[in-house]
Amino acid sequence: MSFVLHMLGEALDRIASGDAELLATLGRTLWLAAASAFVAALVGIPLGARAGLRAHGPVGGFRAVAANIGLGLPPVVLGIILGLLLLPGAPLGGLRWLTTMNGIWLAQVLLAAPLVAALTAAAVAQGPANLVLQARALGASPRDRLLLLLGEIRPALLAAVLAAALLGIGEVGAVIIIGGNVAGHTNTLASTVVLDLAASDTAGATAHALLLLGLVGILTWMHGRARRAAGAAA
Amino acid sequence: MDAAALLTLTGLRVDRGGETVLDGLDLELRRGEVAVLLGPSGAGKSTLVLAAAGLIEVAGGAVEARGRVAAALQGAALARRSVRANVEAALGWWGVPRPERPGRATRALERCRAAHLADRAAGTLSGGEATRVHLARAVALDPDVLLLDEPFTALDPAVRGELLAEAGDLIRDARRATLVVLHDRTEAWAIADRLLVLLGGRIAADGAPAAILGAPPSEEVAAFLGFTGRLELAGGEILRLRPGQVTTVAPGEGDLDGTIEALIPEPDSAIARVATERGRLEVRVAVPGPSTGELVGLRLLGGARFEARA
Amino acid sequence: MSALVDGLRDGIHLVVTGDPQLYDTIGNTLSIAGRSTLIATLLGVPLGCWAALGGGRSHRWVRLVLAAGLRLPPVAVGLVLWLLMWPDSRWGGGPLAGLGWIYTTNAIVLAQTVLALPLVAALVAGGVEAVPGGLIQQARALGARPLAIAALAMREARPAVIGAILAGFGTSIAVVGAILVVGSGLSDATLATAALASWNAGGADAHAVANGLVLLALFVLVAAGATSLQHRRTAWTQLRS
Repeated sequence: MSFVLHMLGEALDRIASGDAELLATLGRTLWLAAASAFVAALVGIPLGARAGLRAHGPVGGFRAVAANIGLGLPPVVLGIILGLLLLPGAPLGGLRWLTTMNGIWLAQVLLAAPLVAALTAAAVAQGPANLVLQARALGASPRDRLLLLLGEIRPALLAAVLAAALLGIGEVGAVIIIGGNVAGHTNTLASTVVLDLAASDTAGATAHALLLLGLVGILTWMHGRARRAAGAAA
Repeated sequence: MDAAALLTLTGLRVDRGGETVLDGLDLELRRGEVAVLLGPSGAGKSTLVLAAAGLIEVAGGAVEARGRVAAALQGAALARRSVRANVEAALGWWGVPRPERPGRATRALERCRAAHLADRAAGTLSGGEATRVHLARAVALDPDVLLLDEPFTALDPAVRGELLAEAGDLIRDARRATLVVLHDRTEAWAIADRLLVLLGGRIAADGAPAAILGAPPSEEVAAFLGFTGRLELAGGEILRLRPGQVTTVAPGEGDLDGTIEALIPEPDSAIARVATERGRLEVRVAVPGPSTGELVGLRLLGGARFEARA
Repeated sequence: MSALVDGLRDGIHLVVTGDPQLYDTIGNTLSIAGRSTLIATLLGVPLGCWAALGGGRSHRWVRLVLAAGLRLPPVAVGLVLWLLMWPDSRWGGGPLAGLGWIYTTNAIVLAQTVLALPLVAALVAGGVEAVPGGLIQQARALGARPLAIAALAMREARPAVIGAILAGFGTSIAVVGAILVVGSGLSDATLATAALASWNAGGADAHAVANGLVLLALFVLVAAGATSLQHRRTAWTQLRS
């Protein structure tokens, strides 16, 4: 056990000393999580709201399977598909986004948007249908009704965006395939654990893992609060 | 169209879940009146409100409104905001300019005796309070046609009585046509100028409450309105009677005799179900009074006569 | 366009011609994910059922721990297991060093089990909680013992239970982060890690594409199975990598 405790101690030292590389990686990870969750929300909430308003009961058949695949697609698979598309000469090759943070960001938006859309659709479908109908009976326009509905399910939307951020933050499959895990450029807290272990820097790997766990803990706590608020509203 | 008609439903047909709920329904609501719509559960009362408010598709017929229609649907669905914000939001949906909203919201809440609730969160209201706010929200819009779907359900009896007593003043407006859907017949007498009975997808009775109760247009309407007794008279006529249209006397001294089959207790009396050779009827008896199996005389004090159907 | 088409064509070629290395990896993936799903099921189904049916403090705690476990980043889980299993250093080995599992298939099974267990248990708990409370109460009122209650709940929540097991399997085949850590050197251990390793080694490598395609096909099968059971449209699996 002393080995584990020693590594934890060294890792905490590394974090407390404000290691520059550690901070830079933390910054990249936070930027990535925020930027991908934000864009996933911009794309996913309108799509989910549309689907949720149209859905009367569960979606069946092929569309449901497709939705489920989008929700749980292994990041490695998405990474390879996107990687092929980003190759020079491929349709998105002109972007030159392979081994860049922009490429990772695109991958995580594509991973998170279906989740945001699905959670939004579920919240909208379970949302206060009576209230929306009542608003219509009192003359509310479609835009009024959508705003009313999104306002009513605000906590659920926040929970969806936080779930999207949680999804991306610990992900390494797409990060490594698209970003290449180039130290100092395209590594995140999670992918640095792999880098450091390969370089036999156990304390460094532990420090990055601890920071990652801390971030996940904070986001999970916020997510739990948002979900409870959404549950209390339902 | 009648000059005073604000809402006209013509040959209205509505299908829901593959079944025809309303089938060729005609109805005209006129300015200044409060019409109460009664009907058994599942008769399509809420469907009628939804169709009249333009909230569901109709399979046939026409809904014509002169002016704007607002509806307070069943169940007081309020947004998770303050009471005042709920009323003001509805005024916004209706298109009332922003500066006018606070004043109109306050006046409507006052009229519904809910002014003291203005700053409460909607989620913290009791059922009765939420109902007042729900009513206030619809009244605040001052629509040309106001539809209220069971506004008094889910209330405890005390609050219900209080609101009913005020409802007449609250709802009635000389410029407006108002339709109130009620489940409970007894509530209708308190507020209705005009009584409508929905049976079999159509309006089966339409008129002043006293007139309909005095002479129901059909046996089905009579049965729905509490004419529980049914006697077959000589000459093939059917006589329907409410319990209040029969009294008990000594055997042989009334119009006919019968045997008490069952006693259904009520607070200060009991309803006796009596079997006679012409059919069954119900009569109110004193408690303590006659017991089950006893022979009683019956005096008939009116009732409604119908031709027996072939 | 040609890069994309070439990559896909070379990948499909390997799948169709029955490349032995690829089929080895498929076999490994199914065997490892099958073992971890089996263990996660044996532990997770009873745990989820117990957590959902009880109202006590320990039940609530377990539910909290399961909810937190759902969010654990696989890389971090891998690192913790790595520290626990590391055989030797100046300060001795980790507490699980005696197993000798580091960088073996067993380590991968263990990591996948740790990741799948909370998911299986949480989904089972969710399914059991969705069983109408009145029914459970009624059974209690009729004198049903805890085991009978659990059997009733399992029966009522059967689609959710099967869905939970499928989700556990789907998660297991998608994991890469934990495997890169505890299975380092076993780069062709599973389809997911083999895809990643060969992509990193050679870009649009035919093996990377082939592994990715087969993984996608497996995943579509699991998703279709889960969908056919689904009553509620909820996120049925958590992304793990």
